[in-house]
Amino acid sequence: MNLEFSDEELAFRDTIRQWMKANVPDDLRRCTARGAMPGKEMQQRWERLLGEQGWLTVTWPEQYGGPGWTATQRYIFDLERASAGAPPTSPFGVAMVGPVLYTFGSPEQKDRWLPGIRSGEMLWCQGYSEPNAGSDLASLKTRAERHDDHYLVNGQKIWTTQAHWADMMFCLVRTDSTVKQQQGISFLLIDMKTPGIEVRPIYSIDGHHHLNEVYFTDVKVPVENLVGTEGMGWTIAKFLLTHERTTIAGVADTQNEINRLKAALATMAENYDKHQAARRVAALEIDLMALEYTNFRTVAATDEGKPFGPESSGLKIKGTELQQSVSQAMVELGELLSLPWDNEQPIGNEVFNRASRRYNFLRACTIYGGSNEIQKNVLAKMLLGL
Amino acid sequence: MDFKLSENTTMIADTARRYLKDNYSFDIYRSQLQEADHLHAARWQAMLELGWFGLPFPESCGGYGGNLVDVAAIVRETGAALCLDPFVDLVVSPGKLLEYINTSESLAILEDVIAGQARVACGLYDRYAGYQVTKPSLRLNGYRLSGQKHVVPDGGCAKRILVSAMAGDELLILALPVEQCQIERYRLLDGSRASSLMLDDLEITDAMILCRGEVARQALSGWFDYMCALDCARMYGAASQVFDDTLEYARTRKQFGTAIGSFQVIQHYLVDMFIDLQQLESMLLMVLVKAESETVSERVRATAAAKAYYASQAVRIAQQGIQIHGGVGVTEELNIGHYFRLITHCSLSHGSRDHHVSRFIEADAAV
Repeated sequence: MNLEFSDEELAFRDTIRQWMKANVPDDLRRCTARGAMPGKEMQQRWERLLGEQGWLTVTWPEQYGGPGWTATQRYIFDLERASAGAPPTSPFGVAMVGPVLYTFGSPEQKDRWLPGIRSGEMLWCQGYSEPNAGSDLASLKTRAERHDDHYLVNGQKIWTTQAHWADMMFCLVRTDSTVKQQQGISFLLIDMKTPGIEVRPIYSIDGHHHLNEVYFTDVKVPVENLVGTEGMGWTIAKFLLTHERTTIAGVADTQNEINRLKAALATMAENYDKHQAARRVAALEIDLMALEYTNFRTVAATDEGKPFGPESSGLKIKGTELQQSVSQAMVELGELLSLPWDNEQPIGNEVFNRASRRYNFLRACTIYGGSNEIQKNVLAKMLLGL
Repeated sequence: MDFKLSENTTMIADTARRYLKDNYSFDIYRSQLQEADHLHAARWQAMLELGWFGLPFPESCGGYGGNLVDVAAIVRETGAALCLDPFVDLVVSPGKLLEYINTSESLAILEDVIAGQARVACGLYDRYAGYQVTKPSLRLNGYRLSGQKHVVPDGGCAKRILVSAMAGDELLILALPVEQCQIERYRLLDGSRASSLMLDDLEITDAMILCRGEVARQALSGWFDYMCALDCARMYGAASQVFDDTLEYARTRKQFGTAIGSFQVIQHYLVDMFIDLQQLESMLLMVLVKAESETVSERVRATAAAKAYYASQAVRIAQQGIQIHGGVGVTEELNIGHYFRLITHCSLSHGSRDHHVSRFIEADAAV
């Protein structure tokens, strides 16, 4: 048993820390400190900067341009990224379609798509959910019919985060409706500029535009954009569910939120009940510690070559619950300061000024990426054999 | 980082599990509950021969130099087996205090403890000071001592009690012979035996005083953290048994013509228990390493966090274990309710959740 980072890991941490200090753009840092989320230009500028370092795709194998770091190094990188005030990178290219392509893609597909993901030039979105296929994803109806050298896609996707930013969508489509639901699904890559695609915004309860509806009317997709074979879509989707995600618990960002909250509480007026607030924050920090050490254990196991299995569902469930608890505490402890919604000048500490937006935004985190209830269904089946 | 137990620790755990499986049972537990003296001669001798008594103590004191991870491996198993033999109360707890006091007198008593020759217990709490272990309300008046110590876990058979008291502003630790004290014996929530000491103008001799002042304060503070970590180990053993038994019950118990484990609500309860158990194990590994840290604030922060976390999440597992078992879960006949009592007991001993949240805040401020 050893719960300390090694000397090499500490040296690595210092290198990353210095780089972050020198390179996280000021406007991005200020944006995170306010509790806001960066727009497309700011987010992509940051991801390109990481891409230039080869640090955007840190989870990728070296042969596809990953830096060859251990899971522990990747975890340390994430901690330093968050404490330097930089947001997490967008998952759709780097963490989702990238691993799908280098695992299931043809050599031509890898050559064509991986470089743009690695550099941060190309933005992706995920076309999974449909109006009548949410948690019951396998019932999706968007059709792709084969015509010679292309598929003709018709249907509708919904809750598509960043579809209005994206160059490309990876999409689950039905290519065969005569077989069992799961077996008729295929994985297609769709250029968002193709005629017949319409993106309509959905405003979420934080008042911002992250989500979209995407409509497909006779959209022509070249057959070389099919990943794997027809009918393999469900296998690929399941692969992504258990694909290694050592930072899925969000420990680094939640720690950062707690630190912001503690700093803000120190600025509260004399008659504010700091004692009560400290107890509330302590309870959250203790919960975070349990999550953090569970995360450390999975990181250590990954470095020993043990597969990272359904445990990631546990980290996702606990991690998202904690994100919600912290954001709720922030709103409640800010009291009056959490009420203003669209004022330019914060009436108190700016941490509280944005807290209610974030609290609203984070109601989604126990829903997206497979709702926590679906994660529990998966765990009951795979781990408990029920 | 490395979370693997050493081969040696794994062997200790395996041996303890096997010993308790072969020599202890729920039936033995239930008959032991009725007994006033919890020291069972044959098992006591066996534990001595297994090397448990020497394990927690450094070789310089005549022990085998095991660390907290090793000792916790045994305590986890005693928790899982509901074992009432007073191994912690009469060996680990007094022994660690004697070791930390580290005077020739205290080490001489420790030697007897390791040899299985002593019956020493710790009487460090009273109803006025609660778990403020370094601030006892018991006061010496010259060389006379009057007052009470409560909830002294003594297996029902201790001959000597290590007691904390104030002499003016100075903290003392004394070793009091039980025969000179008035004593009331009773059973605790977890089924273990304990006493209240009623001291009425007891004459204190210099020989009874083991240490004073800073030595006493540091010994008690280190002892408290060590015991908090062992509470967690015992709760973990019990909680993991509750989970295993409850999962098995959900697979076999039929209602509405099918196993209740096929119902989604029961599945989600069980998944919650499973995830919480994983997190409890993480917290246990963390606290077992950090509770012996040289840095006091790190030690306190770790034990406070672990105890506070266990007091909510291990208790939650025990509660859910009863809920999923239904009516049979609240009967004396089934083990689940006894695990519930054990876990509740450990969540309160050496400080409740609220107490440890306060300690956590203090330690955090000191970092």
